[in-house]
Amino acid sequence: MRSVLCYGDSNTHGQIPGRGPLERYGPDERWPGILRSQLGPDWYVIEEGLSGRTTVHDDPIEGAHKNGRTYLRPCLQSHATLDLVIIMLGTNDLKIRFNKPPSEVAMGIGCLVYDIKELAPGPGGSTPEIMIVAPPPMQDDVKEWKSIFAGAPEKSRLLALEFEVLADSLELHFFDAGSVVSCSEADGFHIDAEAHRLLGTALARAVDAIGWSRST
Amino acid sequence: MRFAPPNPLRIADRASGLNALSVRSYNERLVLSLLLQNEGISRMEIGEKTGLSAQTASVIVRSLEQEGLVSQGEAQRGRVGPPTIPLSLNPEGAYAVGVGFSRRRIDIALIDFIGTVRFHMQLPADEANPFPQSGDLLGAIRQAMTSLPVEARSRVAGIGLAVPDDVDTMAATRNGSSTSLKALQAEIEEQIKLPVFVQNDITAAAGGESMFGVAKPLNDYLFFYLGARLQSRLILNHQIYKGNSSASFDHGLMRLESELAMRGRPSEIIWSSSPEWPGLGEAYSTWLGECSNRLKTSISALTQFVEFRTVVLSSYAPQKIAEALCDDIGREFPAIEALPARVTISPKAVGAASLPFSSRFMIQ
Repeated sequence: MRSVLCYGDSNTHGQIPGRGPLERYGPDERWPGILRSQLGPDWYVIEEGLSGRTTVHDDPIEGAHKNGRTYLRPCLQSHATLDLVIIMLGTNDLKIRFNKPPSEVAMGIGCLVYDIKELAPGPGGSTPEIMIVAPPPMQDDVKEWKSIFAGAPEKSRLLALEFEVLADSLELHFFDAGSVVSCSEADGFHIDAEAHRLLGTALARAVDAIGWSRST
Repeated sequence: MRFAPPNPLRIADRASGLNALSVRSYNERLVLSLLLQNEGISRMEIGEKTGLSAQTASVIVRSLEQEGLVSQGEAQRGRVGPPTIPLSLNPEGAYAVGVGFSRRRIDIALIDFIGTVRFHMQLPADEANPFPQSGDLLGAIRQAMTSLPVEARSRVAGIGLAVPDDVDTMAATRNGSSTSLKALQAEIEEQIKLPVFVQNDITAAAGGESMFGVAKPLNDYLFFYLGARLQSRLILNHQIYKGNSSASFDHGLMRLESELAMRGRPSEIIWSSSPEWPGLGEAYSTWLGECSNRLKTSISALTQFVEFRTVVLSSYAPQKIAEALCDDIGREFPAIEALPARVTISPKAVGAASLPFSSRFMIQ
């Protein structure tokens, strides 16, 4: 059996748009669950979605544990052996408190990739396949998050290009979530159940397209 | 650990589209060549055949997909093992124009990326005037290009000319507005603003068959082209060899023409691209027998020196002629498979059109 780690933020956690942080879509509704049903019994799908997770920053307000980099190493070792790591992060880095341009967010993703390669949690101590997923662009209207995400919607539209440049440069698998889903109007940056279904289905196809040998 | 911004070069490459003559990486050519040979292989198979890692193959395929040169098919789910996603060349990803010069006619063809003829026309020619007025030829090339929808015209990769060896000598003897091959090539490049590639006509026809036809999977084969003359090429390990002695045999359609003339029958039909000929009587059967004997003699002579298992016979003449000759060869040499070529609409022009593809997208 192969293992895939889905490493992301609230949109991997399955947070319902426009509701509180404790309200979450069910295990079969959120995209890792869709991925699990689409990939079938040959795959073990591990969900690691934390609301507010950034690529490499301790969050001065929400807490140091939101730093995607410090948690990644123990997370990878906990779940090794991993055949594939899917990373969908970046939206939280656009909060005004971090003051980062889109290119810098992509470099944050690059740090995570560096750590995966260094830790080599793949089969036989190899580097697992790595897929970077660019989060869907935010809506212009992010409701009560407006001040927190000041300037972020515009930056979010540039993430896909920056992430793809990074994926080309580091030779990684890449998928642009914005090509299949948009963020919900309810809060402007979370994805709804239908979007989870579409994204999970599209990612399953992208995982298949990598090409896997028959033997595990 | 040190960090530097990622290199934005590849994206920049892609945005410039087909028209920029950027140097395509060896790995990209390798993947395109594999896809030409093996339609519908998966990224994993690409990795297995090339030794590229899954992630490297992923980057290359992604870039080729964005350029529109490669397209992804529906997932194939087998009874065992993981599903595979087949990749293919996108037929609409690139086009090329080919011009095939013959004694009696000039063929202009536009083909797509998998070798399908999308446009074909002919201009008259004769031995004294192997080149048409360049204005006519430029007009025909433009007509071929405008047969494409406007948005596809920027995807024409170039123009190929398939020219008989003696064409410059022929041109030198013509009166008045004689054009040399080099001048013609320069004029087309200047006027159409696309790269122009030139190759010997029979070699081009063999190349076209190797790229798009029945010879695709073959490393070695003997190629015959039945035109005005009967000509041959030997292909060994994908290299096309042109012998000196067997450059041309006088058993082609010119011989049929003289057989017909001897019997006072009209012969125009054999120079047309008509898919069927009417009954040509005794002249035809006499000629066919001689042509078949000539083929068998050549094959028999060659088998003493070189090992090959396949003969490919190419001609613009009706398919049933190639089939009849191939049947004859098959009976005479049970160990050899004789195949009529798949490219039947002007093999020379299609071969010519394959030149820009091999030069710009494939490994040699």
